[in-house]
Amino acid sequence: MANEVISNPIEQKTPNGKPRLTNKDLNTIWLRWAFTHLASMSYEKLQGHAYAWAYIPFAKKYYKDDPEAKRRLLVRHSVFFNTEPQTGQIINGIVTSLEENIALGGEVSEEMPNNIKATLMGPLAGIGDSIIQGIIVPILLSIGMSLASGGSVIGPLFYIIAYAIIGTTISYVSYHTGYKLGVNAIDAIVGENARRITNAFNILGIIVVGALAAGNIVLTTTLNIPLGSDWQSLQTTLDNVFPHILPLIAVLVTWWMLGKKQYSPTKVIVVLTAAICVFCLLGVF
Amino acid sequence: MDFSLLFPAIMCGIFCYLGAIESCCLLGMTGGYYIVGRPLVAGLLCGLVFGDVTAGILCGVAVQAVFIANLSTGGATNSEITYAAYGGIGLALATTKDPAIAVTLSVLIGQTLGLIFYNTRMALYSFFNNGAQKAAEDNNDSGITRWHIVYPQICTFFIRAVPVFLIIFLGQGVVDTLINSVPEIVTHIISVLGGVLPALGIGMLMNIVVKDKFQLIFFFAGFVLMAFAGLSMIAIVFLAALVAYLVFLSSGNTSAAKSVMAKASASKGTASAVYEDNDLF
Repeated sequence: MANEVISNPIEQKTPNGKPRLTNKDLNTIWLRWAFTHLASMSYEKLQGHAYAWAYIPFAKKYYKDDPEAKRRLLVRHSVFFNTEPQTGQIINGIVTSLEENIALGGEVSEEMPNNIKATLMGPLAGIGDSIIQGIIVPILLSIGMSLASGGSVIGPLFYIIAYAIIGTTISYVSYHTGYKLGVNAIDAIVGENARRITNAFNILGIIVVGALAAGNIVLTTTLNIPLGSDWQSLQTTLDNVFPHILPLIAVLVTWWMLGKKQYSPTKVIVVLTAAICVFCLLGVF
Repeated sequence: MDFSLLFPAIMCGIFCYLGAIESCCLLGMTGGYYIVGRPLVAGLLCGLVFGDVTAGILCGVAVQAVFIANLSTGGATNSEITYAAYGGIGLALATTKDPAIAVTLSVLIGQTLGLIFYNTRMALYSFFNNGAQKAAEDNNDSGITRWHIVYPQICTFFIRAVPVFLIIFLGQGVVDTLINSVPEIVTHIISVLGGVLPALGIGMLMNIVVKDKFQLIFFFAGFVLMAFAGLSMIAIVFLAALVAYLVFLSSGNTSAAKSVMAKASASKGTASAVYEDNDLF
């Protein structure tokens, strides 16, 4: 129902005669949130006030003669909000379509946008963070680092260009997809098909994280073990059996501390530092 | 005080501001935190301002390895990567240009000063949020702009740029002490710590992506491909994509099978109702 107004933009007249959002308006909202989502970041509101600021031109366009409605718009978009900034633009797009419907006198209630924001910010933060911070950024960085070996400038340049294109594209496509689909996008995010796709991406992420663990943790022992009448380095023996076994143990222990024992990252740092100090003093590492 | 460091130190301070997670200048986090805030790029930028791009990039690569799994979720982070990158790489380039020193300094700055500044800022900015809230309630557009963007960003600039500038400009003494006076066991411990620190970030990533114990099989698969087979990251990504696609296909069969079974049991129900019709025989 809420999307009837949106499906035929040219033919259908809007309920109260006001004009629909132009592409320029849409991109203004997209850019305003894309630039300032964390500008006033605090634990209390996180990305909250960026929504209000992003919708100021929107409010000026539709509520010039209704300052009370404008005030309600700004206040309702000053609540706590936090999600992944690039994939989270899909929420921004959905909210834009809802607010447009409200402004044009449609049937969407004024509480809907915040309900949508509250429902979707969690799932999108989870999916978005595991895709962007778990998969895309580490992979691009690994490629950039190997290209930069020896001090070549191609490495950093590759990463800059690759991420600039990918990040901006994800942000732009997410926003416009959210706007076009409106509330129907929710099914695309949490429906059955989406679950299968997210699950598959998840598996991809787990494999990549495993490879990251092998490639980026450095831990070797300096112990020597007796071999006949000679001493041989323990590390060489370990490497012949299972290369990188010490990093593997380290990362599994860290994961256990974070997951099972629910330690905070700071506590894990303290534990790790203490353990490293002890082992180094004992001459193990 | 070495005044030839004045310009590079100021520029590194500015870059730290541009690459901060809360900076709004380069398309928010997209251009800021995820590009300028990464040690790999910081190495290039610091190298440019210090006039030695190669050394900068080498330091950048070394520091990036430690922070490759740096994670920031819900405002909490395991290590303040931007302070670490610009403070550590900048100070290293100002003194010895040694990547190992860069790693040591980055680990120290990121875990201590960086986190302290970051958490203090996060707590203080509630003040700006209150101002923006009041401006929204007063229907004051320019008020929102001021409280959401202008005041916080000016503060951020000073909180980011000034400490980094001071670290680079005045930090020569610290580096000298580090190299000469600090016992070797301490620098050894810091370098081992730098090698193990990615385990924390990777552990946090595992917490997000590994939903149950059986999925560890995929983790070990990725680990083994890198550790034993020595494949490059790009190769592993393609193999992982293949596995992910197979999982996607098989999960389609499972849900299709479930719906077929559901239909079958529904039709079985109606079929037995037909056979139980008493008038049939």
